[in-house]
Amino acid sequence: MTIDNSSVQVLGIDAGGTMTDTFFVRADGRFVVGKAQSNPGDESLAIYNSSVDALAHWGREVDDVYPELVTCVYSGTAMLNRVLMRKGLDVGLICNRGFEQVHSMGRALQSYLGYALEDRIHLNTHRYDEPLVPVSRTRGVTERTDVQGKVVIPLREAEVRSAVKELVDAGSQAIVICFLQSHKNGTSEQRARDIVKEELKKLGVDIPVFASVDYYPQRKESHRMNTTILEAYGAEPSRQTLKKVSDRFKKHGGKFDLRVMATHGGTISWKAKELARTIVSGPIGGVIGSKLLGEALGDENIACSDIGGTSFDVALITKGSFAIKSDPDMARLVLSLPLVAMDSVGAGAGSFVRLDPYSKSLKLGPDSAGYRVGTCWPESGLDTVSVSDCHVVLGYLNPNNFLGGAIKLDVQRARDHIKAQIADPLGLSVEDAAAGVIELLDLTLSEYLRANISAKGYNPAEFTCFSYGGAGPVHTYGYTEGVGFKDVVVPAWAAGFSAFGCACADFEYRYDKSVDLGVAQLASDEEKAAACQTLQAAWSELAGKVIEEFVINGFKPEDVMLIPGYKMQYMGQLNDLEIISPVSTAATASDWDKIVEAFENTYGRVYASSARSPELGFSATGAIMRGTVVTQKPVLPEDPDCGPTPPPEARIGTRPFYRHKKWVDAVIWKMEALKSGNHIVGPAIIESDATTFVVPDGFETFVDKHRLFHLKEVK
Amino acid sequence: MSTYTNEQVAHLAEGTLDWETTFRMLSMPKDNSRFKQYVEALQKKVSFKDKIVLPLAPHMYIVQTAKKQWVIKCDCGHEFCDYTDNWKMHAHIYVRDTEEAMTEVYPKLMAPDTQWQVYREYYCPTCGTLHDVEAPTPWYPVIHDFEPDIEAFYKEWVGLPVPERAS
Repeated sequence: MTIDNSSVQVLGIDAGGTMTDTFFVRADGRFVVGKAQSNPGDESLAIYNSSVDALAHWGREVDDVYPELVTCVYSGTAMLNRVLMRKGLDVGLICNRGFEQVHSMGRALQSYLGYALEDRIHLNTHRYDEPLVPVSRTRGVTERTDVQGKVVIPLREAEVRSAVKELVDAGSQAIVICFLQSHKNGTSEQRARDIVKEELKKLGVDIPVFASVDYYPQRKESHRMNTTILEAYGAEPSRQTLKKVSDRFKKHGGKFDLRVMATHGGTISWKAKELARTIVSGPIGGVIGSKLLGEALGDENIACSDIGGTSFDVALITKGSFAIKSDPDMARLVLSLPLVAMDSVGAGAGSFVRLDPYSKSLKLGPDSAGYRVGTCWPESGLDTVSVSDCHVVLGYLNPNNFLGGAIKLDVQRARDHIKAQIADPLGLSVEDAAAGVIELLDLTLSEYLRANISAKGYNPAEFTCFSYGGAGPVHTYGYTEGVGFKDVVVPAWAAGFSAFGCACADFEYRYDKSVDLGVAQLASDEEKAAACQTLQAAWSELAGKVIEEFVINGFKPEDVMLIPGYKMQYMGQLNDLEIISPVSTAATASDWDKIVEAFENTYGRVYASSARSPELGFSATGAIMRGTVVTQKPVLPEDPDCGPTPPPEARIGTRPFYRHKKWVDAVIWKMEALKSGNHIVGPAIIESDATTFVVPDGFETFVDKHRLFHLKEVK
Repeated sequence: MSTYTNEQVAHLAEGTLDWETTFRMLSMPKDNSRFKQYVEALQKKVSFKDKIVLPLAPHMYIVQTAKKQWVIKCDCGHEFCDYTDNWKMHAHIYVRDTEEAMTEVYPKLMAPDTQWQVYREYYCPTCGTLHDVEAPTPWYPVIHDFEPDIEAFYKEWVGLPVPERAS
């Protein structure tokens, strides 16, 4: 088959709260980024508008391009917003009698999840959100299964029957069942599920029933209950949203099957049984994109840094793989979902800057101007200084080319606000006050980045730092200076990087199940084989679920590549590690030895070889099954080397730029016009519509053949 | 530092402020103008003309009378006493010192033993508003909660002129 280089193959969508980004990639690796205002009422419309915006760069129409696409991945906030705004179904909950309040209490810690440290430690700010299921639609039934999985009080079936009737009368649109220890022994819960279904049939009511054991058979009942409720509460309505998106693609000739980015770093179909795991997806895209770029560049250790308006997100890729967190919190709920591990600090390019009236110290965030930029945008209605104001005053940002000139910024207005709120109270000039803010932000971010790497026992010199996000390239020099990275990379498409990353993700389902296996170091072969049996039983159960999901999308079971994994720790230790299994099936003592060996190798790499403690014995805490099928991924552009001198047309002019207590003239370059191999020495500012890349004096950058900018400190 | 509109502060006084703003107020350094705005919002809520000098409790204030005296007043306008006095000595008092009285406010066996602890409830003699509850040992004298240094507060804390006071 000949590939038409101009055919558009891949579409990545990042439907954020403010803007909907689309990222189209052609067969030859060329790409365009489109932006449009998000439309919570009809996301499909925002995606369409954003597509029109993107394709205009190529002079093409949506109706021509959609039929050419082979892959499309969506990531967005639809599910998250539904939960945050409490706009889901009226769910009824059946749990153990006496545990009716567990969901509302949210382990007490849900009252401060998502808070900055200062607010966590002050009780007066703690607050319980409205629970997804009110106590009035919760019924307890008598039943108890103990921690070993033994049924000690059998299920009182009559109580289940009357509970169903009451929940239906109370207006439930779905019923969730979650009993204690059901991950260990699901018999009672499954029995209750069957009774609920029978009763609903008798009542002539057709509503879905969700038993936690069928969805998330994992330990920690608050997490399991929340996740199952989330599935009932938000998944179906979100599926409707995604169907709308899919339908609009079909209307314009799309022949592909829409996929959605999921928390585990793979993509799943919008038809998937479990959609709760699409709750957070945007920031994950960047990590996936970094992994793919890293593979292309031959970098296996990457520090991914994403700086947006509100927060700075850091994720580490080590030896080519990212870490997975198994019980994260999202939307102020504790959940059992596998999530790509990421750390965030609430300081970004749009953070508000305030002076503490008592200590006279500068404070960044935690709130931010978001899409309202700062006081430099007169229409914003803001009067609190933001980091962007400081950038505008110091010449980092072009006031006439913000978002490609979509809005005009007023430098004098920003100056006045900085003078009144920060410079005058501190007795500084406006420039020095603004530069102080930038320095504080850079320092905060670089300390955070450094701490994140060294706290995990790594050396920054072994890492390449990827910097992206709308505001990333403005700060890259600031937060990487002095950290000592091997290389610092800014992709030309930094602003659309999350959407790009989504398009890079595998079509992959992942299911997890808790297991409790403890095997001594020198256990007998029989004991090892028995442990293998338990693990294999869990894998088989999970593989069934994975294959079922692919079958829904029309794949044959034999097309699916299954990747079993497990979580293991030394017996008595608190943290487990996630390992890809070296054996495809587990049955014999020698299989167990291989499983243990793989764990020990990883442990030695993550911590230290000398910290390995096989004498404690080994606990397997979880079984994991992932399954993938082959998909089309974006190809990186490959440009011929045009030499170090940038073409004259790329030079737009100069702009005064303030740093280190003096104004200098920075050369302004047009990002799109720079060619592969071009070399630029600071002070320079490289601009494009969606992003600004700052190269101050003391730094230099060159463009490689993939349109990646490499930033270096000049020695 | 954040600043807030008079409307937001009025909602704060009313207990109807949205959570997002409330949260910001709680977590940020206190804004300079808050005390002034807050007292103005309270002034609009009360039925009397006397100027509020300092709020003492949700329904109780130190006010400046027409004769420039500082007295403690209830929402309803009932005047307790001079601001340096213990207003509790001028209130109606209900003491819960029997098991029966305790059972009115707590489930049986979940209230304190009245041999050790009693509740003393202080009501406004005019409107019946419950202003305060003390939980001392039975013999303990009436507690004088708060003797504010109003002059220092106005001058050194909020930077406002001290309201006039007839000596």
